[in-house]
Amino acid sequence: MGKLSRRQFTKGTGAGLVAAATVPLHAQRTGDAPAAAGGAPAVPRSNIRIAVNGVERRLEVEDRWTLVEVLRDHLDLTGTKIGCDRGECGACTVLIDGKPMYSCSQLAVWMDGKSIQTIEGLAQNGKLDPLQEAFIAHDGPQCGFCTSGQLMAAKAVLNANPHPTRDEVKAGMTGNICRCSNYNHYVESVMAAVGGSPSSTTATGGGNAQ
Amino acid sequence: MNPLKTVGHATSRVDALKRVTGQATYTGDVKLPGMLYARVLRSPHPHARIKKIDLSKAQALAGVKAIVTRENCDTIWSSGDTTNKRYLFNNPVRFAGDPVAAVAAVDRHTAEEATRLIEVEYEVLPFVLDQEEALKPGAPEIQPGGNFSPNRGKREPQVALRGNLEEGFKAADVIVEDRYTSAHVNNAQLEPRVSIAHWENGRDGGKLTVYASTQGIANCRTDIAKDLKVSVEDVRVICQFMGGGFGNKNQCHDFDLMAAVLAKQAGVPVKLEFTRKEDYVSVHGRWPTTQYYKIGAKKDGTLTAIQLRGITGLGPYKKSSGDIAGTEVYQCPNFETSLSTVYTNMAVSANYRAPAYPQGVFGVESVMDDIAAKLNMDPVDFRLKSMTRKFRDQTAYTSWGLEDCIRKGAEAFEWKKNWHAPGAGAGAGGSDGPVKRGVGMGMGMFGSNLGYSAALIQLDGNGVYHLYVGVTDCGTGAKTTMALIAAEALGVPLEKIQVNSGDTGTCPYSVGESGSRTTVMTGGAVIEAAHDLKRQIEDKGMPKGSQVLTASASPEPTVRGAARYSFVAHFAEVEVDIETGHVNVTRFLGAHDSGRIINPMTATSQIQGGAIQGIGMALHEQLLYDKRSGLPLSAGYYHARVMTHLDVPDIKVVFVETEDPYGPFGAKTLGEPTIIPAVAAVANAFFNATGKRIKDLPLTRDKVLAALGKTGGKGTVA
Repeated sequence: MGKLSRRQFTKGTGAGLVAAATVPLHAQRTGDAPAAAGGAPAVPRSNIRIAVNGVERRLEVEDRWTLVEVLRDHLDLTGTKIGCDRGECGACTVLIDGKPMYSCSQLAVWMDGKSIQTIEGLAQNGKLDPLQEAFIAHDGPQCGFCTSGQLMAAKAVLNANPHPTRDEVKAGMTGNICRCSNYNHYVESVMAAVGGSPSSTTATGGGNAQ
Repeated sequence: MNPLKTVGHATSRVDALKRVTGQATYTGDVKLPGMLYARVLRSPHPHARIKKIDLSKAQALAGVKAIVTRENCDTIWSSGDTTNKRYLFNNPVRFAGDPVAAVAAVDRHTAEEATRLIEVEYEVLPFVLDQEEALKPGAPEIQPGGNFSPNRGKREPQVALRGNLEEGFKAADVIVEDRYTSAHVNNAQLEPRVSIAHWENGRDGGKLTVYASTQGIANCRTDIAKDLKVSVEDVRVICQFMGGGFGNKNQCHDFDLMAAVLAKQAGVPVKLEFTRKEDYVSVHGRWPTTQYYKIGAKKDGTLTAIQLRGITGLGPYKKSSGDIAGTEVYQCPNFETSLSTVYTNMAVSANYRAPAYPQGVFGVESVMDDIAAKLNMDPVDFRLKSMTRKFRDQTAYTSWGLEDCIRKGAEAFEWKKNWHAPGAGAGAGGSDGPVKRGVGMGMGMFGSNLGYSAALIQLDGNGVYHLYVGVTDCGTGAKTTMALIAAEALGVPLEKIQVNSGDTGTCPYSVGESGSRTTVMTGGAVIEAAHDLKRQIEDKGMPKGSQVLTASASPEPTVRGAARYSFVAHFAEVEVDIETGHVNVTRFLGAHDSGRIINPMTATSQIQGGAIQGIGMALHEQLLYDKRSGLPLSAGYYHARVMTHLDVPDIKVVFVETEDPYGPFGAKTLGEPTIIPAVAAVANAFFNATGKRIKDLPLTRDKVLAALGKTGGKGTVA
């Protein structure tokens, strides 16, 4: 796998659709629309059927809701974070039919019939995913706000290629920004999870530095 | 250094499981019953007077519950400007992004829509963006009295003098004079701004709870009470998990206050969210600077005089000092620094990781590198000759590992093997292609003072030690650090410590995660409380059943007759493609004297992260402005070009663990020194590779190609 540019990556994860995602807000604004029960103006709604972490759900969603809004605000799956809400940072990365996508850049109505995996669905039967174990052991998260997205991106890398090289891991996760900049420890964690060679990132000097 | 049982061993974070399973509750994850959502309307102009605000259409929108503007809100945000009166909503508005109104509605879409329905009539005023331009006669006046931000009431540069500058320059064999500039760089922490305010009696007020995203719950609480004119006891600030800040979540912020004001008006809890763009333009970033240096040295590298005249752009409000630091890491008898802080119509600038340092050290270390080149000295040898050995050449340091940072760092980096004469950079393996390789270094220091803090430990009948500390852990690993210190001081396994933090309702005072002070200050209080608890256990025995033992401490230790500093040397290797202008950092090493390292695992993360932020600041990052419109152009991760997985080199870490008699087990500050010389090391490596010096941050491709004499040709992209 060659080096993937960030621009290509963001395109692949739906960043190109940011504009589309915001269009209905303007297009469907009707100042004189009757108020809905909650006091907000009525907006078009649709029924969708999605599987979230293996659980089938039938939902009525406002057409302007993004997937991440539905996950966080309506399904209480707050493990998926919103870092930029415009397809730049990757904190909201989830797997949609197995592919890593920015859930801030996908409208919920587009998800009809799709299967979504979030951070809450990564551990199986109460057992942590090897990636989660490795993230703990190698200090993947600093502030932790990008961690759910990093984990889901890493999961997608391994789903596609169970034995990636370091460079392949970096390329596959490059749409996920970590401002604490713990990139080295993230990649080290993924390599450890697949039993790859330990990182060349080392500390010397005092204590039991890893 | 004597090894300890728990402290000093690489340990996973005590809350790591929550962080990797999505169970960590950040402020934005909090949802209260009946909560409204709020959005802010901001000025589209860099400088304008508001003539009229028409709220009628917004008020008529179904679902809108409260709107605040300057007309119905005279709350002053005191930590938003330490000199002028900065209201939550100002008139005139002084930068593109200055808040004009805030709206609370039943959901965020309705709130957002309502902000669009507010009609504002502006009288557009002239603006100025650059700090030097703002000082010129006839520049648009941004604050009453002029653009020179007063220092203790005086509108003149703050000057610090030592020795005799004139004699110093007379004694010099070589003098370098130069001008350097640095850009506004946003902190860009991943967690966006959010605040949830809840008054227990709704419109009638009563006790106020604020779920904030703050680096310091105690100071946030005090600030909120002061600005809303309520008693401190009536305010509770909660921040359980925090998604980074790097200095821009100190104190309380306008969004905390706006949420509280809206919640009172609406009578129900309000969650106020900023967008990422708002985060970039309306909170703050690192202050841009202009730095004029004149530095003299003798042939053997001894420094004779250092002069710095610095000018800092604050944006339109004075939120922090605007200092420019870095010269103090050199030994020199004759010194003069002067600082002018200036109002401009750019985004506000204030604290970002080692606020005064990386940009100042970039300037100083670039000039020093030029002096070394003029003297035909290896930059490492030059620094070993001229580095500080006593604070201001007078006061002993409590511990001093700077020399070891340089020597051990250079050795581990294989400096001697890789350094060459400036501009003699060949490609990998000595190839003659367009890619030139070079190495550079920089050094720095950061204060490690002690100070007031508090801690409380309660031992229950099951043998669990409940530690209460007012820290927030913005990603530094503070909760884990506090647990390690407690376990060591109590002599019990780490698993026996339960850390409670991030809630002023249950936790005692901590200075907060600013100035890299949590480990040093709150860690000291934890040790004292632990000692007290151990004495109680000796007297009364272990508690049984429902019994508890409680110990607390609120020490205020000081250092007398010595200066306490952390030290650092950074080394970088770059490859410069002289055809495309692309600069790639290929290797990096950070050697740090932060005293005893409490947790080498999280310390390594901090050092690597700080270095990478520094590399981004050196190569790409800046908030660009359109000079004609005064509007920001590069707000957001993509356009500000923060570092990504693919940009990151291998980063080695060397701990120089000096024995320091102060601080918890001899620990000194760490979080901020990690970025201090990183920018300079990259810039000096570029000089080593190409023989050319770029004097304006960041080192974007257009500047690289210009420095190499290749502009005008194809591909001059930033």
